[in-house]
Amino acid sequence: MLMKTNIDAVYIHIPFCNKICNYCDFSKLYYNSTYVNKYLIALSKEIDKYYKYEKINTIYIGGGTPSCLSIIELKKLFKIVNKIHLYKDYEYTFECNLEDITEDKLKLLYKNKVNRLSIGVQSLNKNILKKLGRSLYSKRYLKQKIKLAKSIGFKNINIDLMFGINNCNSILKDIKYITKLNINHISVYSLIIEPHTKFYNNNESNIDQDIESKLYAKIVELLNNNNYIQYEISNFCKKGYECKHNIKYWNNDKYYGFGLSSHGYIYNYRYENTKSITSYIDGKYRLSKTIINKKIDIENYIMLNLRKIEGININEFNKKYNIDFEKKYNIEYLLKNKYLIKEKDNVKINKKYLYISNKILADILYNELDN
Amino acid sequence: MKQENIRVFSIIAHIDHGKSTLADRILEKTGALTDRNIKAQVLDSMDLERERGITIKLNNASLKYKYNNEEYFLNLIDTPGHVDFSYEVSRSLAACDGAILLIDAVQGIEAQTLSNYYLALENNLTIIPVINKIDLPNADIDSIKKEIIDTLGFKEEDIILTSAKTGEGIDRLLEEIILKVPYPKGNINNKLQALIFDSYFDPYKGVILLIRVVNGVINQGDKIRLMSTNAVYDIIELGLHTPNIESKQKLQTGEIGYICASIKSISDVKVGDTIIHSNDSITKPLIKLKEIKPMVFSGIYPLESNKYNDLKDALDKLKLNDASLTFEPEVSTALGFGYRCGFLGMLHMDVIEERIEREYKIDIIATSPNVIYKLFLTDNTEQMIENPSKMPDRQKIQKIEEPYVKTSIFVPNIYIGDVMKLCQKKRGIYINMDYIDEKRVNIHYEMPLAEIVYDFFDKLKSFTKGYASFDYEISDYKVSNLVKLDILLNGEIIDALSMIMHADLAYNRGRQVVENLKKLIPRQLFEVPVQAVIGQRVIARENIKAVRKDVLAKCYGGDITRKRKLLEKQKEGKKRMKRVGNVDVPQEAFLSILNVDEN
Repeated sequence: MLMKTNIDAVYIHIPFCNKICNYCDFSKLYYNSTYVNKYLIALSKEIDKYYKYEKINTIYIGGGTPSCLSIIELKKLFKIVNKIHLYKDYEYTFECNLEDITEDKLKLLYKNKVNRLSIGVQSLNKNILKKLGRSLYSKRYLKQKIKLAKSIGFKNINIDLMFGINNCNSILKDIKYITKLNINHISVYSLIIEPHTKFYNNNESNIDQDIESKLYAKIVELLNNNNYIQYEISNFCKKGYECKHNIKYWNNDKYYGFGLSSHGYIYNYRYENTKSITSYIDGKYRLSKTIINKKIDIENYIMLNLRKIEGININEFNKKYNIDFEKKYNIEYLLKNKYLIKEKDNVKINKKYLYISNKILADILYNELDN
Repeated sequence: MKQENIRVFSIIAHIDHGKSTLADRILEKTGALTDRNIKAQVLDSMDLERERGITIKLNNASLKYKYNNEEYFLNLIDTPGHVDFSYEVSRSLAACDGAILLIDAVQGIEAQTLSNYYLALENNLTIIPVINKIDLPNADIDSIKKEIIDTLGFKEEDIILTSAKTGEGIDRLLEEIILKVPYPKGNINNKLQALIFDSYFDPYKGVILLIRVVNGVINQGDKIRLMSTNAVYDIIELGLHTPNIESKQKLQTGEIGYICASIKSISDVKVGDTIIHSNDSITKPLIKLKEIKPMVFSGIYPLESNKYNDLKDALDKLKLNDASLTFEPEVSTALGFGYRCGFLGMLHMDVIEERIEREYKIDIIATSPNVIYKLFLTDNTEQMIENPSKMPDRQKIQKIEEPYVKTSIFVPNIYIGDVMKLCQKKRGIYINMDYIDEKRVNIHYEMPLAEIVYDFFDKLKSFTKGYASFDYEISDYKVSNLVKLDILLNGEIIDALSMIMHADLAYNRGRQVVENLKKLIPRQLFEVPVQAVIGQRVIARENIKAVRKDVLAKCYGGDITRKRKLLEKQKEGKKRMKRVGNVDVPQEAFLSILNVDEN
């Protein structure tokens, strides 16, 4: 049975990790084979319950550390995921940790249609890796793993990096090295200290905002100079290698989220799954549902689309919501002072000010013309 | 009731010396209250009064009491216990024949004990000195007695000892009132003359006047005339407060009661006015009316601009009960539409502002309070300025005068040095100093009211570890070297932050305000210069740096809730800010002027 639901993206969460990083506040637990088996059974049931056999464009398997599952467990996982119908030009991403990358696993992924790897590297600096609570690996180690992945056939590889952990500029060295490995997608995130993390509990703080923003500017410049195009606040790629899945989020499109603590946006609501592994295994998947009315949808649309460098297409916006964007929002002074830029039909945040995008966003949304 | 068996008296005291508790005890003794309907301190009818332990609006109670098989009518008129309301005290004393001067058995004579004592003397009242709180373990009755004898000139046998808390000495006090306070002297056969000593607004009956019938009789249905306005009204209802309302047919000479006469607005009535029958031709009022003028001004603005009408409504309602509150519309470029309000003093202002927020649930921003200045312009005209932002150009001004007050500061003599230091700093001019006893003094200074409004009382308390008590009366206007200090944000004058102050203090205060604002105003999209300016001269400048980071780096796994939460937080934050020339200014910034510490 095929239903028209406008949903063509799927996120699947695998919450298990061999090691818990000090900054991580995502839903995760230590790897335990008994739980993995129970979890996969529950996941299968959740997909059966909600998935309406739509054709899907992008799948993203994230974590946790999906790559920490054993070969047998991965086979079980793929058996479940293979129920999902794919379009021909699909994108299928799988998150890996460097130390999990083995020939056997990669071959299994490749055989099961995964065509994009996202590798969590974060840093190549030993001090920073130590501080983050991650395994220590060398540049050579990274090089070998990339070589292996390419030899098996993965052309589309992303590397995640992190900065703002300390005042050291090692991220720039890391980027220089990675660009030489011919990687076509790099995500660079600044550290966010979230509650329920070791960093938070140890009262770690972010580095000074003036230093951090300058470093961000240098990162952007360096990546641009190496032919990486910035297409979102934290995402850079060689031409044509944008992550289609993430772009769906930023377009405010619909998607399924399956697995522990996943978020999804289907029909007229957004939902969040339970964070409790026992509830999830018991089949109590949903934690909350939020009906998205027009007002919230508009706010989400603006908030998400402005993450993208190309910004908001005003024609599309006006048509979709039957509202005149420039009349509804008081953006004149933001345009005048070049915080926002209007180019053809698009309004976007000036690249120079992406790092204060929240502030600009609040000015757009909450300085509405007095009624 | 026989005129000879009526007594009219007040309790006067320094704040916290137990006035309201004593009033309760008297009500209880006379059977006006049973335990069940005592809601501690009945005469303080507003919640705010009860909470702050102060009486703001006075009230009265007519109480029956049997003494030596005779029935007496004891009329207690309550008075407010704060310096801001001294006019209210004086007019309620004008309706009395006697006063209980209540003195705390630990604190002894304080600033307002003395000022109230003088007010009672001016009104020719029989004064009964009472030492209260004698149950306290640290009560020092002997030395307080000595203070009363030495300072106020009473004899030892005049002094009554009470504990309003335990009820000790209350019967003795009531006996003393009956024996010593003279009965009302008027003539029931003369033409009607009644004194209005208070008024309040009742939502069902309109304005209610509290009166003392000085001569003659007033009946339900009578046509009366208010002497100051010649306005004529019909008496619809009259009666007693026992303290519950007890309607009657008439009130006669010596009686204290209420009347309703379909008076719509409290501003139509002047307290202190004389009531006569409309056809009578009496020309001399009982007492001379004094116009009460507000001394302290502040701009009050709704935090949310759509609450402007609600604010007007609240002020209108407050004014119904409080003729001394004045307000008129005002527009500020920084704060939008609001009202410039006039108050009798700082406490009066605090109370009104708190009632607007609490009873009417309107969040407000109040600008820092100021006094009213007298400007002599070069074109030989005079102008009164009650809003600093309205001050004309310096070149157009010949001279500026500001109001001065005469202070009484009661303090243990070990703090004399500290108090003098503080007063000098606040531009005080020393007058003299009286010794109350060997340990306590009463220091008199002449001081600009503006300094008192600013932070004098808080400073005085901290300089003297809370031991000082303080009272003041307006003396006159004096020429001062005053300047207008403007604060500029991003090059724009923030009118709500303009101040008038003495030139010698301006540099320091300007510097401090600028530093405070830098701390209080969050980093904005762009760098914001903050300047303090006198005329064209910038005396202080700080820059609020532009915000460099406000971003959510990652929208992970389609979880947009974090980002939404951040936005909600910003939205809430914005609600609590005023946007002035594209700068988001938090509410606290408008009060930062008050938190300037010159040390």
